[in-house]
Amino acid sequence: MIHPTVIAAVIAAGAVAGGLGSLLGIGGGVFLVPFLDAGLGLDFRVAAATGLMTVIATSSAVSAGTAGKNLINLRLGMLLEVASAVGGLAAGITVERLSKHTLSLLFAIVTAAIASLMVARLDKRNILEPTSDPGPLGGRFRDDDTGREIVYRVKRLPVAMFASLLAGAVSGTLGIGGGILKVPILNAWCGVPMRAAAATSALMIGVTAAASAPQYFARGDINPPVAAAAVLGVLLGSRAGLLAGGRAPVKWLKLLMALVLAGVSILYFRRALG
Amino acid sequence: MNADLFVRLERQLGRLLYAGVMSAAACLAIGLALWMAGTSPAASNTILTTGLIILMLTPLARVVTSLVVYARMRDWFFVATTVMVFGVLLLAWVLKSRAQ
Repeated sequence: MIHPTVIAAVIAAGAVAGGLGSLLGIGGGVFLVPFLDAGLGLDFRVAAATGLMTVIATSSAVSAGTAGKNLINLRLGMLLEVASAVGGLAAGITVERLSKHTLSLLFAIVTAAIASLMVARLDKRNILEPTSDPGPLGGRFRDDDTGREIVYRVKRLPVAMFASLLAGAVSGTLGIGGGILKVPILNAWCGVPMRAAAATSALMIGVTAAASAPQYFARGDINPPVAAAAVLGVLLGSRAGLLAGGRAPVKWLKLLMALVLAGVSILYFRRALG
Repeated sequence: MNADLFVRLERQLGRLLYAGVMSAAACLAIGLALWMAGTSPAASNTILTTGLIILMLTPLARVVTSLVVYARMRDWFFVATTVMVFGVLLLAWVLKSRAQ
């Protein structure tokens, strides 16, 4: 039996995770799963299943909010989603044989590496002249912060595909959507501006998470009251994040992303060793 | 492609997502309240499960709807990638259920 104070704690933690997740397009699972697992002592599978549910919730809420602003790059998103789906399939065959500790350790190393990449490229902007051609996968949108028309091209597509493959592989096992890997790589290496990377990732992580969530459901790993509390908390938080996200300066978002990555890395290192 | 048409499609898909999330949230809020009250565990469980299933179907509904629209526009790149995503997901499901 789960005590009502636990439900209240889950709602509060969900709100924090949802706020950060919607600002950065990464879903809340990456913060919420360790909290539920290590903080509240829930079973890892229940925590992961809850994490996936909150990722779907942030994804849908944020994508509904950014729709019509041209921020979501659906072509790039679906192409990367092919890689994520393949990654998820490969994970079903191989990664699930790795222990949770090994996987947490790998994840911690990868996030630490991406955090340093993010900091190293903090001042690089992915913006072309307004008249230039965005190419087959690029895009253009109006920046709410500066009011400027922004055009970008996608570079190093294989790197983006590989990041998405990795994201798909860890998503089902760790209960996260994989945005924490995709957004920084798309932004720092592949020429996609921060806002477009976040909006595109926000949409795709919902599909990635929705692909693995039913398997937890079928195995009975979903605890309905806990999942409901987490989802409601995340929806409240993502509403606040959405209001702040459009206006926040891009550099601030990138710094926040690097900080979050560093925090997540430390969190998963401790999980791997603890 | 016509940019206005594209923005309109995006807005419609946005409304679809919004409707999905809001109905899921309503189920979850009602179910959670019933569960806290503790009077009818079976009813609260059904309502909570319904909410979670609506939630899981929402992103998939968005992609399927956009697939139909892009197929009508004869945007084959998009149709191909979407079909591939669903093909791989389906394959993963088949392999999973066989393994169990």
